[in-house]
Amino acid sequence: MEFGPGIWGPIVATVVMLLGVAVAYLLLLASRKYITPKPSLEKLRTYACGEVLKPDEVHVDSEQFYSPIRRVFRPFYRYVQPRHTGILTTYLLWVVVGFIIILIAIMVALR
Amino acid sequence: MIPHAPILTIVLPIFAAFLTPVVGIVAKRFGVERARDWFVVGVAILMFIIVASMVPAVWGGEVLVYKLGGWSPPWGIVLAVDGLNLLVALIIAGVVSLVAIYSVVYMERDSGLEKYYTLLMLVTAGSMGVTLTGDIFNLYVFFEIMSISSYALVAFRRNWDSVEAGVKYLVIGSLGTSLLLLSIVFLYGLIGSLNIADLAWKLVEIKATQPLPMIVPLMLALLVTGFGIKIAMVPLHAWLPDAYQAAPSAVSALLSGATTTVGIYAMLRVSYLLFGALAIGMMFIVLGLITMVAGGLMALVQRDLKRLLAYSCISQMGYILLGVGFGTTMGIQGGLFHLLNNAIYKVLLFMCAGAIVYRVGTSNLDELGGLGKNMPITATLFVVGALAISGVPPLNGFASKWTIYVAGMEAGQPICTAIAVVMSALTLAYFLKAINLMFLGQRPEHLREVKEAPPLMLFPMLMLAAFCVVFGILPGLGIDLVRPAQGAVMNQLGYIGSVMGAG
Repeated sequence: MEFGPGIWGPIVATVVMLLGVAVAYLLLLASRKYITPKPSLEKLRTYACGEVLKPDEVHVDSEQFYSPIRRVFRPFYRYVQPRHTGILTTYLLWVVVGFIIILIAIMVALR
Repeated sequence: MIPHAPILTIVLPIFAAFLTPVVGIVAKRFGVERARDWFVVGVAILMFIIVASMVPAVWGGEVLVYKLGGWSPPWGIVLAVDGLNLLVALIIAGVVSLVAIYSVVYMERDSGLEKYYTLLMLVTAGSMGVTLTGDIFNLYVFFEIMSISSYALVAFRRNWDSVEAGVKYLVIGSLGTSLLLLSIVFLYGLIGSLNIADLAWKLVEIKATQPLPMIVPLMLALLVTGFGIKIAMVPLHAWLPDAYQAAPSAVSALLSGATTTVGIYAMLRVSYLLFGALAIGMMFIVLGLITMVAGGLMALVQRDLKRLLAYSCISQMGYILLGVGFGTTMGIQGGLFHLLNNAIYKVLLFMCAGAIVYRVGTSNLDELGGLGKNMPITATLFVVGALAISGVPPLNGFASKWTIYVAGMEAGQPICTAIAVVMSALTLAYFLKAINLMFLGQRPEHLREVKEAPPLMLFPMLMLAAFCVVFGILPGLGIDLVRPAQGAVMNQLGYIGSVMGAG
């Protein structure tokens, strides 16, 4: 079944993806014939700077997870994000500003 | 069609709202407290059946006009059901049914559940009223019923965060509904009618015979701002992250799937039908892009899963506005298809978040990890929802986003389309972060004993995930579902003729 313009056929694409998953899984199974993972307790431990860390301590900081993307959009995170202060009066001001922007846009469009 | 289906759709949840406490008392007396919860589930499913019974007639091209008290329009109040509001009614009824099933277990640890279910039914009645009415003052009244019940639901748990979020939502939401009322007052003053079809026709006549009165842009701006607050269009979005984070997850799912859909519907009905304002499509495109980008970038840096989902919800509204803003057949189809899909995967994702909160007690991403081993079904369903919302093929989000991209290219807006594609990649990025932090990696000690979510919570999630797959693999099915709605958006005169002809 084709969908919209172009060559995207969702059913064919799905079948191909499922086949890809099946092939990948078979490769994984085949590879285990040669190398069997044997995780020992020592292997599962996390070492950093000579210290053994607990699972709770190796958690990635969720806010800094994409710090490179944050650097790309630095102006947004420097000026817009801090404006989300949680202060109600600020948010009401945003509504007023939003209303004025919408009014001007409509007046220009319907002119 | 079931006789009196349009009015039954509204009256049924209203009666159920006031019957629920009585059913609760009786059920408690007989030691079967869950009978109250199942009563609400039954009402929601019955409502879905009633809405579905209108499908053959409406998809056959008919506009169902139900005259209340036998009074003819424009003097009497009518309910007018066309392809657009039928689609929205189906979404509301479906979401409410699944949320009601989910709530049976999810809300069992809370007290005061009579109030919860009463409010749930009132939100439903208000949403259905806004959707089906053909009278703009009625629309305002039902909008208030829906909104006030939502404020109370957000503050349902009565802890500091939820009360604060509820008060913020109340103040900003009340400002929005005040703007709506002001606009309706101006409309009535200018035209002297409250029937939407009559208003639309008289506005067409005014535009044909004289220069557009200066008050018309003001009325439209007031309406768009009022509804814009409900759909959390940037910069009117500030209430939403706090509200969705603080509310019980079942409520967040309901608000993201049902009330936001109603907000989009009302905005479309008003701007496209009442004002015939395809001319303001560019405004929707620009606001849609700002909403999409700001929501996405804010979602990227959130520490709390529910807050991340809330900002993601804002971002997805941008796609819908972008699609309908293009104003072409394919653009509106894409926007409405995305509206349907958004209701499906956003409800699914909030339910998954709720399952985690139910088992772990927190939605803070920094306190989670390795839960894929403990909650494999929830993890799989979350991944399905996350990939769907990110527009990864072959899931439903891809189908609707792709329709919007194609519409954008056909409408000569390659830059807008490129921004939408980039934001889709960003959506995938922040959902991969959430998947990594919650389900992968090393499992902290305190999460070792966490169990899978209960089956009754998993059931609605499984159904929603199945819809994500079905509408992705068979996108033609989704497009067929939204085509009558798109036809209704673009056929202003058909709606006016059907409603006024009923007089």
